[in-house]
Amino acid sequence: MAEVHVIGQILGATGFSESSLFCKWGIHTGAAWKLLSGVREGQTQVDTPQVGDMAYWSHPIDLHFATKGLQGWPRLHLQVWSQDSFGRCQLAGYGFCHVPSSPGTHQLDCPTWRPLGSWREQLARAFVGGGPQLLHGDAIYSGADRYRLHTAAGGTVHLELGLLLRHFDRYGVEC
Amino acid sequence: MVSEKSHLGDQQEPGHEDPNADARPLSMPTRRGPRSLPPIPSASRTGFAEFSMRERMREKLQAARSKAESALLQEIPTPRPRRLRSPSEKELETEFGTEPGGKIQTTQQEDDSQSYSRVKFRDSVRKIKSKTPDEEELLDDKDAVDFLLGLDRGAEDIVAVRPADYESVHIRLQKEKELLFIPSRRTVPTYKKLPENVQPRFLEDEGLYIGARLEVPRTNQNIMENRLLMQEPGRRWFGDDGRILALPNPIKPFPSRPLVLSQEQDIKAELETLYKKAVKYVHRSQHMIGSGDPPGNFQLDIDISGLIFTHHPCFSREHVLAAKLAQLYDQYLARRQRNKAKFLTDKLQALRNAVQMSLNPAKTPKSLDTTRRAINEYKSEIRQTRKLRDIEQEKDRTLLKTIIKVWKEMKSLREFQRFTNTPLKLVLRKEKVDQKADEEAYEAEVQAEISELLEEHREEYEQRMDEYRSAHQQWKAWKKAQRTKKKKKKQGVEEHPDDEMEEPYPGEDPVKPVPPEPTNQAVIEQEVRERAAQSRRRPGEPMLVPELSLAGSVTPNDQCPRVEVLRREDVKRRSVYLKVLFNDKEVSRTNSRPLGADFRVHFGQIFNLQIVNWPESLTLQVYETVGHSGTTLLAEVFLPIPETTVVTGRAPLEEVEFSSNQHVTLDHEGVGSGVPFSFEADGSNQLTLMTSGKVSNSVSWAIGENGIPLIPPLSQQNIGFRSALKRADAISSIGTSGLTDMKKLAKWAAESKLDPNDPNNAPLMQLILVATSGESYVPDFFRLEQLQQEFNFVSDEELNRSKRFRLLRLRSQEVPEFRNYKQIPVYDREIMEKVFQDYEKRLRDRNVIETKDHIDTHRAIVAKYLQQVRESVINRFLIAKHHFLLADLIVEEEVPNISSEGSGILGLRLFKLAEQKRPLRPRRKGRKKVTAQNLSDGDIKLLVNIIRAYDIPVRKPITSKFQQPPRSSRTFSEKQAASPTTHSPTHSADYPLSQVLVRPFVEVSFQRTICHTTTADGPNPSWNEELELPFRAPNGNYSTTSLQSVKDDVFINIFDEVLYDVLEDDRERASGIHTRIERHWLGCVKIPFSTIYFQAKIDGTFKIDTPPVLLGYSKEQSVVAERGFDPVRSLSEGSYITLFITMEPQLVPGESVREKTSDMLKKFDSQEDEKLLQATEKFQAECALKFPNRQCLTTVIDISGKTVFITRYLKPLNPPQELLNAYPNNPQATAELVARYVSLIPFLPDTVSFAGICDLWSTSDQFLDLLAGDEEEHAVLLCNYFLSLGKKAWLMMGNAIPEGPTAYVLTREQSHYLIWNPCSGHFYGQFDTFCPLKSVGCLIGPDNIWFNIQRHDSPLRINFDITKPKLWKSFFSRSLPYPGLSSVQPEELIYQRTDKAAAAELQDRIEKILKEKIMDWRPRHLTRWNRYCTSTLRHFLPLLERSQGEDVEDDHRAELLKQLGDYRFSGFPLHMPYSELKPLIEAVYSTGVHNIDVPNVEFALAVYIHPYPKNVLSVWIYVASLIRNR
Repeated sequence: MAEVHVIGQILGATGFSESSLFCKWGIHTGAAWKLLSGVREGQTQVDTPQVGDMAYWSHPIDLHFATKGLQGWPRLHLQVWSQDSFGRCQLAGYGFCHVPSSPGTHQLDCPTWRPLGSWREQLARAFVGGGPQLLHGDAIYSGADRYRLHTAAGGTVHLELGLLLRHFDRYGVEC
Repeated sequence: MVSEKSHLGDQQEPGHEDPNADARPLSMPTRRGPRSLPPIPSASRTGFAEFSMRERMREKLQAARSKAESALLQEIPTPRPRRLRSPSEKELETEFGTEPGGKIQTTQQEDDSQSYSRVKFRDSVRKIKSKTPDEEELLDDKDAVDFLLGLDRGAEDIVAVRPADYESVHIRLQKEKELLFIPSRRTVPTYKKLPENVQPRFLEDEGLYIGARLEVPRTNQNIMENRLLMQEPGRRWFGDDGRILALPNPIKPFPSRPLVLSQEQDIKAELETLYKKAVKYVHRSQHMIGSGDPPGNFQLDIDISGLIFTHHPCFSREHVLAAKLAQLYDQYLARRQRNKAKFLTDKLQALRNAVQMSLNPAKTPKSLDTTRRAINEYKSEIRQTRKLRDIEQEKDRTLLKTIIKVWKEMKSLREFQRFTNTPLKLVLRKEKVDQKADEEAYEAEVQAEISELLEEHREEYEQRMDEYRSAHQQWKAWKKAQRTKKKKKKQGVEEHPDDEMEEPYPGEDPVKPVPPEPTNQAVIEQEVRERAAQSRRRPGEPMLVPELSLAGSVTPNDQCPRVEVLRREDVKRRSVYLKVLFNDKEVSRTNSRPLGADFRVHFGQIFNLQIVNWPESLTLQVYETVGHSGTTLLAEVFLPIPETTVVTGRAPLEEVEFSSNQHVTLDHEGVGSGVPFSFEADGSNQLTLMTSGKVSNSVSWAIGENGIPLIPPLSQQNIGFRSALKRADAISSIGTSGLTDMKKLAKWAAESKLDPNDPNNAPLMQLILVATSGESYVPDFFRLEQLQQEFNFVSDEELNRSKRFRLLRLRSQEVPEFRNYKQIPVYDREIMEKVFQDYEKRLRDRNVIETKDHIDTHRAIVAKYLQQVRESVINRFLIAKHHFLLADLIVEEEVPNISSEGSGILGLRLFKLAEQKRPLRPRRKGRKKVTAQNLSDGDIKLLVNIIRAYDIPVRKPITSKFQQPPRSSRTFSEKQAASPTTHSPTHSADYPLSQVLVRPFVEVSFQRTICHTTTADGPNPSWNEELELPFRAPNGNYSTTSLQSVKDDVFINIFDEVLYDVLEDDRERASGIHTRIERHWLGCVKIPFSTIYFQAKIDGTFKIDTPPVLLGYSKEQSVVAERGFDPVRSLSEGSYITLFITMEPQLVPGESVREKTSDMLKKFDSQEDEKLLQATEKFQAECALKFPNRQCLTTVIDISGKTVFITRYLKPLNPPQELLNAYPNNPQATAELVARYVSLIPFLPDTVSFAGICDLWSTSDQFLDLLAGDEEEHAVLLCNYFLSLGKKAWLMMGNAIPEGPTAYVLTREQSHYLIWNPCSGHFYGQFDTFCPLKSVGCLIGPDNIWFNIQRHDSPLRINFDITKPKLWKSFFSRSLPYPGLSSVQPEELIYQRTDKAAAAELQDRIEKILKEKIMDWRPRHLTRWNRYCTSTLRHFLPLLERSQGEDVEDDHRAELLKQLGDYRFSGFPLHMPYSELKPLIEAVYSTGVHNIDVPNVEFALAVYIHPYPKNVLSVWIYVASLIRNR
């Protein structure tokens, strides 16, 4: 019966070598969670920073969950994509972070990574774009053997999430 | 410090690095020269001879000190090179030689330097001598300190020469030995490590689990053990086995991060990466978090290995038997493999042992009670198991017997027919058994069974006895009281029926129960033995093992009789092939293979199906070809679609059986199919067999190059927005296939030698145990999040019960009742239960047909159906709503362009600045459009400008005989208005000059707000008034979509204001005025809000809907002449009103929604030719380029959502015969009647709710079935009727007022064109100014589309000659000829006659309801009904229907006057198509008849329903109010 509001925004991203960036995001919860209203996933616009290297999206996130348990606390995962001058999109990074569990505003920085691929693929990426992508997106957040992957660091996605919790104290959860 | 040292060392030249003691002071000056910053060269120093000795000495000392410092510093870091170079005397000499100045100095300071140099020298010697660098360093340091101190105070006093301290190694060792303990490396004997007299225990040997220890070298262990023994004698570090206590080895046997050598090594599927090319982003859906969609090609491998017929028409009798035998043998093999009998026997044995064990009290320390219970349980299980075993054994035996029997039959058949057809051969192998042991076992088994049975019986008997005794006691008591005489006899009679039911031994006397064991033992034994003999192998009898082989030989053809040869030839002629059908489409077929003599067909083909969609069905069709004649479909085999875990290579071959029900009779030895035949000569024992067989095949998912199974994602199975996130949750994606396969798991466990005692492995071991033990219960589910339940705050039910959550969810799902619901209460208790009532009711009523509102069941069903269609459309619409276009998000002000039309060329604009200001010349300013997002209630106003009206009906004097003309107080104005020429020819004599014609005013009502104009005079009033009405969006939501769905209409009602003098007393007339104002409804105009919203403004003259008869009013024909509208008026009659309606501020109509939806609708599939669709797109694009505002329609969406070319809708269709018969000689009248019929089909009122976004076009028969539709459907039907009447007719798409974009029908008469409004049934000439159609976009005929490319689009100004290509651009032309599209319309429309009785009943019910309503609306007044008037009106209504509301007025009036002469009445008939009750009530209400509050008013209401074919009903309602004249 407890409720969680996640209200905030994906501010933007820094540290990517690519310039025109956009971000696909989604929130993944356990079975005990019910989405009462809001959109679970989405995509930002493409931002090409003119000044500085931070791409600003200011993409709003507004979700309202009801939960009957703590398991499967919402997790946020992100994919940063870049768009080149031909309008083609390629992956720039995968990211994952937990939604904070204490009420209040939180500034989150979510570092990202992307698969590196073989040297051929790296070469191709450098010249013709594209790049290796995960076939199964769940490795982003559940990768127990992710160590097998060769990855390159992407930039950081900055988020600002406000958490409103309700009735958790009723069930003995202090936050 | 450190950095400085290294700095100095680095800077020094190698040559100067010499630390030789002698050289140091001498070389000092030269060394100093390049190094120290102040330039004090030695040469200058010599020049100053007069420097005192002390002065020089000080300088020397300073130099020496700095030198020493540097030497000290440099010695520490670089000891090695110094040692190598120090003995180089040569360098020393050169240094001496090169410095003559230095020599002088030396002599002078010899004393000082003496001691210094000596020390230095000794040091350096020692340095060279010393072995260890440590020592050297030590000494050096000391030396340097000494040196420094010495120099400060005077070296000789402090420095003493001592020999180096040295301790011999032996002594040191000695000392160390005293201090240190070095544990020995020798093994410690076990007894030392254990407490005394304790034997070491090895837990592992006792079966306890001990983890593997960490590998430690033996010596290390020994050292540790020794140390521990020494250090802590308590032995608490040692375990029972005498070893050091240790945790199990925590080191994993494999590295947790092994080196990934190359990318190609086996990577887990979920980590697979795929190189994706950078692609242009195609907007597919808004939900896309997954890593893009997987590549679209999936592969299904179907391996068809062969086909075996278990029966075929060409089977000979022998084949039938052979098939039977083979089948039985298969069964036998299967049974033997399972060997259930053996299993059960073993189980029985085990159970017996268990009973024996538990019966022995010595071994079971448990309480007696539990033992007994356990024994009882065992016993009951024994009983069951025995029963099962007996059954199984019997089955085995009968199977064996049957096999032998069939084989015997076959042998006899072969002998009888003297040839062999099948190579089958059965060999019975006998297995010798040990006679004696066998007998013993048999006997033991029998005995055990007997004893068990005896025991059971005994128990049962005792139980019965107990029961009996108690019963007997009761009975006795009862008996005694009842009767004592016949006690004995009664017992026998009465007890028996009760007892016999349960008593196992009915022969016994219930009174004196004698234990029956001795007698029964024999019986039981006999029974047991009999059963054993029946079901079991007799002792000593050899075990028979049948073996079926194909070793036999088949008789060659030439030795066979003719019929058999014929049969064989027939078989040879036959061949079989299979077709593979995927989703009911044939995708491939096997080769045709001849049928072998053994009726087996081998295909051995593998089909790789490249598929895109999730398979829905997979079918194999078995076809048989006989010779060269045609093929017949024998049977269809449905293959199951494999699980996602079944991939190629792992899929086993499966046999799928099929059978066919065809009947085949053959003229040779073949037995045929579906035909009875017999093995006996006399034809008894008939058998009928159907063709049947088995296809052995395997279906599996292919594996891609990189080992990924090519399986479509699960999301494809069910269409809809399933996000990739959910996909990730599915168990199937984890790949649990390995876990579910228990056998593999067990095998793996065995191979990897899992320690069964390891607690870590316990769940796994248990799982394997359960799985391999066979019969036990294996849960067939896998539970994720096991502890979820335990940690839940609340249960699911409670969560679902929460009203708040429910409300929130419903709101976010945009369920109609809760859409835009605001501010949901925080607490559940604040939410009323009734919030959900409507919603729940709707859910409940979805399938219940509500007849209350509809009265007519057919219409109720239709309404329901429409409701469902509407819901589905709305759902689609909701999806489209969340699909934003750029324009939805960004409103960009257009950048003023130099060449744009509005601002003109920049120069011109500049020029304009200099223009003279002309304030009196009004100029139109463009209004700013407002996007609807930041508006709130009250911001938007609806402006209605009522300018003037024409031809309002005028009052008729109510015959002067009966009544004085109403004495109005405003006679002077009436005089002005009423011109002398306005005389009705019929009543001109009656008109007094003071008679006012009419005093109309306009009332505009919108969203319950009512405004009205002032009252004007005369039939052609001019108001020129602006009325302002506030607009409220539903739920305060001013978003575009919400505004589009506003259903409200703007009602513009025209009333006549009548003043009645009610002054009772003439005497008071001089002093007071007492009048009553009455208003009489004259007509109305209804404009939907959505039209205003989409058109931004509505400007024009509209025809007022006036009732055909207005009692007390008449149209003044003569006005026409005066107003000068002759040419126009002659065609159309009626009243008109000029209006201008707009909104303030102007809203941006959300045109985009329509575009989006149409985009979305385009995705629906179409059955049209791809080329045609392309052509339509091209055509539309071309048209839109030239005339963006003209409507051009080429394809429409039909009711099932498919795109259909529009001309397919047009086809001559027969109108009802009844209508044709009405005016056989008057085509124009027929056409009008047909138009009227079409207009009587109700207009679907709710199209407004999706504002034309979803124009689903239904065909004419659907339209007539639904009895509802919008303009297009009406127009299509009317056009089709006209076509069938032989007219030249076209569908005309254009804009009309007030409908907006709409469809009309254009017909060509002899000399002119007529424009028909299909919804009202009216028609207009081409040059009629009052024609509501304002622009024409395109014309559609049955075989072509013509787009209007003329300059003007008003029907008044265009030429309808479609043959001129310069005026009309046709779709099909020479370059694209008309392909002859078939129509979607039915061949013929079938009309049922409408039940007149039902119509009459409906009529009565409507009348009753309306009367009740009128009474309801007048709660404060008494409503009296004038029956006489009502019946008069009722008679009159059919007349109206017949004449379609024309030319009856005068007769009617006369009649009314005759009958109701002394009443003053006002009233009118309303006419409308019947759809449901609500519009009727609304219509009556809007006339305001009930508003009269004259005390003695009476009402009359009559309803007439005229039924037309196909249940089209024309409803007439006559409402009137009567006031008796005094």
